Amino acid sequence: MPNDKLAILDRLFNPAGVAVIGVTGDPDRVGYCLLESLVYAGFKGRIYPVHPRLDSLLGLPVYRSLDELPGPVDLAVIGVNQYATVDMVEQCGQKGIPGVVCIAGGYREMGAAGEALEERLIAAARRYNMALVGPNTLGIINTAAGLNTSFYPMRLPVGRVSLISQSGGVGLTILQKASDEGLGINKWVGVGNRSTLELSDYLEYLARDRETGVIGIFLEGTDDARRLVKTAAAAARQKPVVIYKAGRSEAVNFAAVSHTGSMAGSYRIYRQIFAQHGLLVAESVAELVAACKALAIAPLPAGNRLGVITHTAGPSIVMLDEVVRREVEISSFQPATIETIKAALGENPAVVIKNPLDAAGHGMLAASFGRLADAVAGDPGVDLVAAVYCLHLHWRFPSRELLAVRRRTGKPLLALYVGTQAGVREERDYLQAGGIPVYLTAEEAAWGAAALAHYGIRRRGEN
Amino acid sequence: MEAGKIIATARDEGRHFLFEDEAKALLAASGIPVTPCRRAGSEEEAVSLAAEMGYPVVLKVRSALIQHKSDLGGVVLNLADEQAVRRAFQDILQRAAAVDAAAAVTVQPMAPPGIEVITGLVADRQFGPVLMFGLGGVFTEVLRDVCFRLVPVTPAEAREMTTAIKGSRLLDGFRGGPPADRQALADLLLAVSNLAVAVPGIKEMDLNPVTVYSKGLLVLDARVLLA
Repeated sequence: MPNDKLAILDRLFNPAGVAVIGVTGDPDRVGYCLLESLVYAGFKGRIYPVHPRLDSLLGLPVYRSLDELPGPVDLAVIGVNQYATVDMVEQCGQKGIPGVVCIAGGYREMGAAGEALEERLIAAARRYNMALVGPNTLGIINTAAGLNTSFYPMRLPVGRVSLISQSGGVGLTILQKASDEGLGINKWVGVGNRSTLELSDYLEYLARDRETGVIGIFLEGTDDARRLVKTAAAAARQKPVVIYKAGRSEAVNFAAVSHTGSMAGSYRIYRQIFAQHGLLVAESVAELVAACKALAIAPLPAGNRLGVITHTAGPSIVMLDEVVRREVEISSFQPATIETIKAALGENPAVVIKNPLDAAGHGMLAASFGRLADAVAGDPGVDLVAAVYCLHLHWRFPSRELLAVRRRTGKPLLALYVGTQAGVREERDYLQAGGIPVYLTAEEAAWGAAALAHYGIRRRGEN
Repeated sequence: MEAGKIIATARDEGRHFLFEDEAKALLAASGIPVTPCRRAGSEEEAVSLAAEMGYPVVLKVRSALIQHKSDLGGVVLNLADEQAVRRAFQDILQRAAAVDAAAAVTVQPMAPPGIEVITGLVADRQFGPVLMFGLGGVFTEVLRDVCFRLVPVTPAEAREMTTAIKGSRLLDGFRGGPPADRQALADLLLAVSNLAVAVPGIKEMDLNPVTVYSKGLLVLDARVLLA
């Protein structure tokens, strides 16, 4: 992508002024919610609602036309119908607005008539060298700028993970799940019909974006597949990239065409080619979020050998099941580690000393759990550690101890805290601020560990 | 004959595919080991080619109208002598006549048995040319135990492909059989990948079967579709 395209994308994500075209006073309508999203997210730039008759909305003055806008506009969010959108893009071009988000659907995904309309839309954007996000999209989010061009008002935790989604709905699922997990978002884009900006364009931008530490992608299918995989492979040399590709069944092809106008393509071919290029593939939204979370919060391990400390065997078995069919190895403890563990356990413990280490009753109190976690993490054959602990009415979580282990060994740790969202929230925020991602299920913890191992073995020593 | 000329000939004749003898000539020109395959315009020519190649031989129909040769009885294996070649030649043309009066026959030597695999290029709608590899027969057709890589592959990726399939252990020698020559297999995959890059006129390629031995391998049949 030429540098000017990247520069325009940078202006789109960090606009000084945003025009919202198609606002209304009715909260049941998309036009109202587009404006509300910017206000609700605390957009830091100027907001210019445009409507031919309204005077003010949500406390903001409304402008009758683009001609009346008092300041510079880097981005116009267009919420009118698909036909009027074409005219508005033309008008924005005439005003020299460099970028537009076109929310309306009703184009290529609707067949031949829609395709012709989309061609007109593309022609208008090209005429003025504009960046056009969509159409048929929720648009873009930049949490640091308080920018949300979608008609879903949200307040998201700010962080390092940026997302590219070929679906608004799945993109929202990822955002909401990330919010629940206390995972901070940086940027988000719903690519829609990709009339002028391909998945690869956004990916190139995010690969260079300094605020983005991890990139997550939800993909249905694209004719740009070869460039996408090459771009993603190049991006993954800078920062971790995680891809969730839909379309494991043939039935998906038809649904995908009528959704965003693209065939899903062969899932197997996608999956294997992503793996060929060292990219991490997730099999669900939950896995995508779990992987992004580990990669955004924990440092990369020096290798893929996992040590597990638990006081209950089951979750560690489920974890093993998930990690070993990915790229994780379960190391055997070295003799010195076994001696340290024995010393921590005391006389005749009812514990088999092996990895995963199920300390049973010896692991129920935070102090002894911490000593055992320290021994496991200290093993030279262990590159990363998963610690399993269950929420209890009386016993406190070993969070302080785990952070101490994390600091002492410098190795990445993940915590599986079996409990409710509410019950672990405080501990979670405390641990995650200290670089230890926290999960509520064994599967998600395993996916997080596998993601760290994946990029750990590929970027060894580049931490 | 080099690749460009073989493809130009097919195009001049209005074909979007290569005959087996052409496909194998193209592969051989790239250093890929194939069983020699020659067109026989007459029964006498078939007999002399068979004598030259050495018995036993295989006769196959060569027709622009018959893509699935064995469906029409167009493949006769394991012909041990001149008399068998003459009979097969007549039979093949007789069966083909209903579809293609201009059909000819190819002659090739019968290859010794080994481990059967397949490889080729798939024209993926979204990725373009993709290299495919799998074990032959039911492993591919029923179990779909194949792997795919974007071309061009590196030598390391070609080698890794031979272990990426589920049935990889069968290549190590199964129930006392000798192990397959994985290096020869990796070399083949690399050569097919390089062909895809060097000859953009190739749309799809199907080398099926390829017989792998403890030392070396042979491509027994090859189909090439042109872009």
